Amino acid sequence: MNRRKENEIKGIFGLVVLVFLIFLLIPLARLFLKSFMGDTGLMLGHYAEVLTGRGFLEAFGNSLLISSVSAVVTTVLAFILAYAVHYCNLPGGYKGFINRAAVAPMLLPTITYGFAIIYSFGKQGLITQLFGTQLFDIYGFNGLLLGYVIYTLPVSFLLLSNTMSYVDKKFSIVSRIMGDSPFATFVGTVLRPLLGTLAASFVQCFFLCFTDYGIPASVGGEFEVVATVLYNEMLGSVPNFSRGACVAMMMLIPSVVTIALLHYLEKYNIRYNKISQIEIRKGAVRDAVFGVLSALILLCVLSVFAVIFVVPFVDEWPYRIRFTLEHVISVFSDNSLITVCRNSLIAAFLTAAVGSLTTYGAALTTARSHLPGKVKQVIENISLITNTIPGMVIGIAYMLVFSGTPLQNTLFIIIICNVIHYFSTPYLMMKSSLTKMNASWETTAMLMGDTWLKTIVRVVTPNAMGTILEVFSYYFVNAMVTVSAVIFIAGARTMVITTKIKELQYYTKFNEVFVLSLLILAVNLAAKSLFHYIATDRQKVKVKKTARRPVVSKSIS
Amino acid sequence: MLEIKNLKKSYDGVTILHDINLAIDDGEIVSILGPSGCGKTTLLNLVLGLADADEGEILFQGENVLNVPMEQRGFNIVFQDYALFPNLNVYKNITYGLRNNPSISTRQEVEDLIDLLGLREHLDKKIEQLSGGQKQRVALARTMVMKPKILLLDEPLSALDGVIKESIKAKIKQIARDYHLTTIIVTHDPEEALTLSDKVLIIQNGTISQYGKPDDIIQKPENDFVKEFILNQLLIKKNNIFTLFRQGNEPKIAAQVG
Repeated sequence: MNRRKENEIKGIFGLVVLVFLIFLLIPLARLFLKSFMGDTGLMLGHYAEVLTGRGFLEAFGNSLLISSVSAVVTTVLAFILAYAVHYCNLPGGYKGFINRAAVAPMLLPTITYGFAIIYSFGKQGLITQLFGTQLFDIYGFNGLLLGYVIYTLPVSFLLLSNTMSYVDKKFSIVSRIMGDSPFATFVGTVLRPLLGTLAASFVQCFFLCFTDYGIPASVGGEFEVVATVLYNEMLGSVPNFSRGACVAMMMLIPSVVTIALLHYLEKYNIRYNKISQIEIRKGAVRDAVFGVLSALILLCVLSVFAVIFVVPFVDEWPYRIRFTLEHVISVFSDNSLITVCRNSLIAAFLTAAVGSLTTYGAALTTARSHLPGKVKQVIENISLITNTIPGMVIGIAYMLVFSGTPLQNTLFIIIICNVIHYFSTPYLMMKSSLTKMNASWETTAMLMGDTWLKTIVRVVTPNAMGTILEVFSYYFVNAMVTVSAVIFIAGARTMVITTKIKELQYYTKFNEVFVLSLLILAVNLAAKSLFHYIATDRQKVKVKKTARRPVVSKSIS
Repeated sequence: MLEIKNLKKSYDGVTILHDINLAIDDGEIVSILGPSGCGKTTLLNLVLGLADADEGEILFQGENVLNVPMEQRGFNIVFQDYALFPNLNVYKNITYGLRNNPSISTRQEVEDLIDLLGLREHLDKKIEQLSGGQKQRVALARTMVMKPKILLLDEPLSALDGVIKESIKAKIKQIARDYHLTTIIVTHDPEEALTLSDKVLIIQNGTISQYGKPDDIIQKPENDFVKEFILNQLLIKKNNIFTLFRQGNEPKIAAQVG
């Protein structure tokens, strides 16, 4: 063989597969077995017990119902926001605001949403006080709906906005020239190309709602959902791991179905290569309607969060409303809370570092090697599996496998858990970026004496730096806000901010909850702007140099 | 001298190339000409060492190099899309190979190449700021710094238009002459092949249709493929041009290349 043997890439592939074998497949297999394991070997007893037991089927039904309703509501709202951005003549600044405000909830943990809802719409809530009366009962269906909608709005908006930017707007010109009515034009050139994405948005939101633990933990009330049942089986007053494992397996079923649906729907996604920029048709009424609707939606979302900027800074909500920094100071003088913050920062930073390396390595094997298709498919399947597994299921699987090992109660296990839980999206970002790069770089560089590793360091990595930073930022923010998986594996010494919030809820220390939430928000905002700055700073250098380019370039002579 | 004997290559049981026999003298420019999918790029990859042959021999200066790994063969290639490194400026692209092998070209030799290819004023530029012709010249310079024993060019002109194409053609000829460098060019354009090279290798359906000097191919086409697809195309072009430049309709300028 003259061809390069690609030993380095085989090594990377081996490492990646090994990590996922130990930290994904084995724990899942263990969970699967556990759900069948009885006193007398394998049996279906636990399933029978769970399915016929009081509450589970009801919770399952509740989960299906609330997740479906939330997904529909979110998708409609996100459509309105995205439509306002892409199809209306609104001021650029306002569009920028919509773009940023719509994704803002991503920077906070879901468990905070619930408390924000309580403090906004509860009996003594900020918004209740403004209106003079409680608008609706927050515990149960309504509170969950509100929380889920806020939680899934960013994802749905990003999906729809992305597709809308690629939908060829010239079709609407053609449609109008052909004499279609405005409604027919709307259906034919906006709604139809978006059908796949709308369905994907519904499915994705459904999945997120179905598997989230943070929101029902705070506002679920008597309205039991699968996530709360699962938590109570594992960490409740009478834990039963086998039954918990069953519930986890049951949670997996809708997850697998939704992800399978998402893959199926991908076929219906229209892919255009370039974004066509055309002038949007004048329509004052349309602009006004969508401008105002967007403002209302975002006002509702942001008003829920207003409370976290208020409550921690007053004496005692809602009885003594006087500005004070007492709560903030007390949080920062509490040594245990400082440890928690330090844990969170370390975990988020290392998750980002390890996650970027892992996804980069995995993407190199699929995008820039000549390994056989079957080998590459292994990585693709890993990505698919991580996309399917809810965080709670990973957390429980880890709890079963790593309890009693030296890995129990370490930051290491939290970091690995995050890296694996959030693997799919950054891997796909990385792969897409590496695939777009020139396929001949490695050969060319090798002909100039490079080893493979040298080419990766000198050429591929510098050109992938923008995406690597994005991936780093994605992992960092998600590691800061994640609740569902870490709640099962964070120990007393390795408590992170989100799990501490859960604990503080138990002691009804809501001031601390909000101070910590604000801290997460501040860290995430700082991190995002830092990565954004680094990424655009690199671009600016390019732009400046382009600007210096002489207008007329001399031909060779 | 590069000799190819009984070369055969197949992928997944489908024969791409078979019965390839030819010899190329030192310093010659040879074009491999054929329609897309005929196997010409595969032949280039076999010479380069990027792909392995099933059977046959590739002899360079009398030695079989078929089992010599690509990077040790000492041949070099400029890919169709140039494969320049966008994170490095023009100068760093040109001198990329020197970092691994500082003694391969002297400073003076590098400077000469920069001047020969007219790149002096572009050295600090980013790759994305260059035009297609400039990129091609940078890629050529970067490869020439490595002092290849054979220079391989994959469709070097197909992304370029008009006068730029002619000027790059002139540069390729000049390099082959000045450096006495054996140059093998893959192209699908008969005009390019016949006006650029000392010899043309016409490939069809994975084997040699005709191999000879441009004059021989024009005067003595050996088969219908050469006649119908190669010469016919050129005749149509020629007639079109003649119609444009018919008596009394000649432009009042003289042709300039480069």
